[in-house]
Amino acid sequence: MQTPKIVTEFRAGLSDGKLLVQLCKDCGKPNMWPRYACPHCQSENLDWQHSGGVGTLHSFCVLRQGAPEGFEEDLPYAIGVVKLDEGVQLAVRLVPSAPDDWSEYQCDDRVEFVAVSADQIEKRPCAAFKRIAD
Amino acid sequence: MSEKWTLNVAPAADNDPVFVGVGEIPSGKFPDRGFIQALTKVAVLALKDAGMVPKDIDTIMLIPCLHSGADQADLVFSRMVEELGIHGTCKSSYMVHSGGSTSDNAVRAAHGLIAAGHAQNILVLQCERWGSADLQEMITMLSKNGIPGEWELPTGIQFNAIGAMITRRYMHASGSTPEEMASVCVTLRNWANLNENAMFYTKPLTVEQILASRMVADPLHSYECPPMADGACAFVMTNTANAKKRGISNAVRVAGSGGCVSHYCLSQEADQAVLGWPLAAERAWNQSGWGPEDADIAEIYDSYAAVTAIALEGIGIAAKGEGARWFAAGHGDPGGKLPMNTNGGLLSAGHTGVGGGTALLVEGIRQLLHRAPSKRQVENCQRAIIGGSGGSYMDAQILLLERIKLGA
Repeated sequence: MQTPKIVTEFRAGLSDGKLLVQLCKDCGKPNMWPRYACPHCQSENLDWQHSGGVGTLHSFCVLRQGAPEGFEEDLPYAIGVVKLDEGVQLAVRLVPSAPDDWSEYQCDDRVEFVAVSADQIEKRPCAAFKRIAD
Repeated sequence: MSEKWTLNVAPAADNDPVFVGVGEIPSGKFPDRGFIQALTKVAVLALKDAGMVPKDIDTIMLIPCLHSGADQADLVFSRMVEELGIHGTCKSSYMVHSGGSTSDNAVRAAHGLIAAGHAQNILVLQCERWGSADLQEMITMLSKNGIPGEWELPTGIQFNAIGAMITRRYMHASGSTPEEMASVCVTLRNWANLNENAMFYTKPLTVEQILASRMVADPLHSYECPPMADGACAFVMTNTANAKKRGISNAVRVAGSGGCVSHYCLSQEADQAVLGWPLAAERAWNQSGWGPEDADIAEIYDSYAAVTAIALEGIGIAAKGEGARWFAAGHGDPGGKLPMNTNGGLLSAGHTGVGGGTALLVEGIRQLLHRAPSKRQVENCQRAIIGGSGGSYMDAQILLLERIKLGA
């Protein structure tokens, strides 16, 4: 099956260094993850907006072993759930403060979107975030 | 959610569905124990416990397995009907599936079938071979269960990462220490040490050992991650009129249930330290007229300590933020004020996939039937809270079960 448009467009945004949030043109609400119909009003009249890229880290973990197949060489890596200021949330990779070091991170930290290379997005099409210094 | 949501079946009415038997074989690593062999064994054990033979069964309900698509297909396509020799008479054989909460939903389905008259005697069967499966294959398979492939799989998320995020959020929200989190695992192990079918029956465990074990997914140590196990269990349900006809004098009925599906993937959960438990509990109390103080035991899904601590708080057994400390105080231990996961739970009896919740349910029924081995039988056990959760803790499911006397 062809990759759905909402997926290719979201990933194209990441490749261009932008975090896109789906926007319902009928009810005006943002959706994440992007949906095929707006979960608030079921409209299919959907578009994108650029996220401000700033939010709060709800929780995170550092995976040190037991990576799924194809992720072994990434270990260790940190995954977090970010609540964007726009009111939607998503799973992200967290950028270490120093090599393999996420010890500065805490729940409820303010975090921001970080653009990564198009090559990296090709390999791992997910958003990266980092802690906003105190 | 204030409207009354009533069960349309009266206690001990002729069509009131009741549990009348259970069967189980040991959990752990049993590479030489075949899948169909194990299912046959627990079917026969449960039927014997119910005082039935295979031809009494009109409906077989299957709990899924996750280790093999081929074995799963055998479950779906009625293999057990033939293995038990009831082809030609069995009315219906099919699977119910919602991951770790399957057993709760299977009970709802069976309850409805029996109360409405679609089924008389239902045999529910479960078998999983996670302990003998290829670990890497299972990790990769589980990175695609309850995880959207197009949105979250690229992060490298898998089941321990999900458990670790919930644990971290819970520790942050409650101020629970690593020692308090580890104490949940110790309570479960204390119960497993009383259960010959538990994977860790002969192995004690301390907080110190847990905190000294290697870090797998911060903040989870390896001894806080669920041990993948082979296991199988079964139970039998019938209606009250039929149970009486068969001379059964004590059985177990469903007093009510409640549930809440709070998300599909973890990133969309509003509060990882709460999940769907408060609404599930409100619905369960509303339907049954019970409160948390009315239970003699609780058997609640425990693939990670935090998951169970969060459930305890949502259900109202422990105060908000006090779930892990409730365990640290020994309240859930053998001899404690509310015996919890008396088979050792997923963390110490073994994580048998979807079957982990089924094993907890079977243990709850066994305790209410007063058929647990004496060393772990809870005295005068009358009421049980059963809790389950599936996928990435997508739902909170509660069954309230009670012992009932049939006939004079």
